[in-house]
Amino acid sequence: MDQGEVQSLLIVFTGIALSLAITVVTLFILFQRRKNRLLQQRNREREAFERELSETQIEIREETLRHISWELHDNIGQLVTLAKIQVQLHEDQNAQLKEASNTIGRAIQELRALSKLINPEALKNLSLPEAVQMEMDRFNRMRFLEASLVVKGKPRPLGNKEEIIMFRILQEFFSNTTKHSKASSLGVQLVYSQRDLTIRAKDNGVGFLPEDGEHSGIGLTNMRNRAKLIGAQLEITSEKKQGTQLKMQYNFVD
Amino acid sequence: MPIYYYLFFAITVIEFFVSFMATVHLGKYKNSTEYYFFHFLWFTFFMELVAGILGNVFEINTKWIYNIYMLISFSFYFHWYRSILKRKEFRNTVLVFIILFVCTSLWNFAFQDWNYYHKYTFVTGALFTMVCTLFHFGQLLGSDEVLDIRRNLSFWISTGLLLFNMGMVPLMLLSRNLNFSELHYFVLIVTLNLILYGCYSIGFLWTREKYNRY
Repeated sequence: MDQGEVQSLLIVFTGIALSLAITVVTLFILFQRRKNRLLQQRNREREAFERELSETQIEIREETLRHISWELHDNIGQLVTLAKIQVQLHEDQNAQLKEASNTIGRAIQELRALSKLINPEALKNLSLPEAVQMEMDRFNRMRFLEASLVVKGKPRPLGNKEEIIMFRILQEFFSNTTKHSKASSLGVQLVYSQRDLTIRAKDNGVGFLPEDGEHSGIGLTNMRNRAKLIGAQLEITSEKKQGTQLKMQYNFVD
Repeated sequence: MPIYYYLFFAITVIEFFVSFMATVHLGKYKNSTEYYFFHFLWFTFFMELVAGILGNVFEINTKWIYNIYMLISFSFYFHWYRSILKRKEFRNTVLVFIILFVCTSLWNFAFQDWNYYHKYTFVTGALFTMVCTLFHFGQLLGSDEVLDIRRNLSFWISTGLLLFNMGMVPLMLLSRNLNFSELHYFVLIVTLNLILYGCYSIGFLWTREKYNRY
């Protein structure tokens, strides 16, 4: 093999090998980049879809609550008021009727409070501490349990959507407390700082085991989804016979 | 007996191996257009075997067999690309390629010696095939198939064809200008065949049925 042959062989071989290598690398990079872009796009679509789903669920729920609130206020409220007037007309004839009239009066008060607390429009006009306080008062009036609210720091508005969603999460927690926990006390703490709002709620009920399938169901999942929607961190801890605690943290600054 | 005599059969052995792979994994792609390749690969193997025996045992000039094979194989590739490409512009371009290629091939059959390798037919076919592979890559990049591309048999076929033809075109064009010994020439050709059929084999091995439906 003479030198010229070796040289041309080397040149051709190197040339071909190089162009093949470049082609393979280019193909790899092209396909990899495209794949990553597609995956990211899919992730974004999935997140958007989940968000949409959560928002729709909340919207439907708020709509239902608004409807019930109107019915309570305008329909049932009116009927009970009418009943009170009718009883009042005959109050002086019977002492027991006066007591009944007072009971109906309390019922009307409860109806109004409840109607206000579940109506999203009414909630918009309340701050989060006010709304929670109303709910606490309601529990205390019903003598279900001893409820208390402590607010630390200077309350500041969060935005309507955020406040309503946080309040609904708390309501879900309260509803679990009253329905399942057999608790005798419920304490809520709102701590406002420069950076964040931390909400703690604690009951002294029967509690549950976190791995207990029955309790980690739709209720908790819904609460978590809602918290995620407004970018709040939600933690629910519980132990058998030790009560249940909720901790929710919302950052004012991202 | 020169050493490339054995190298020559190396290609036949590689072709047998890939046809065997195509048969073993037939179930994965028999419902797709890649099914044509099953027949085509066996056809290639038998053609190579017959030409090898005729040329090396009976010492007959077999270049004309390769010229005919060239016409058939490139036409086959174009036909396959026409059946898998979805965009109308691409399919029409491939149709133009077929017409131009067949004309070139027939022209060479009419005016060139049948006992020489028709390298311009090859270069025309190879360049057009490379464009087809690029069309195909473009189509794959625009689809969801890119998410698990290694399972896609047509991707491996196109990769093999692109690399093979990229290597073959300069080799064909420069063969007269380079003072290569026939041995070196064959080493390069065997290497390129290894790349081509290696890609096919990986494709047959990795592909899954659900990625091969057109």
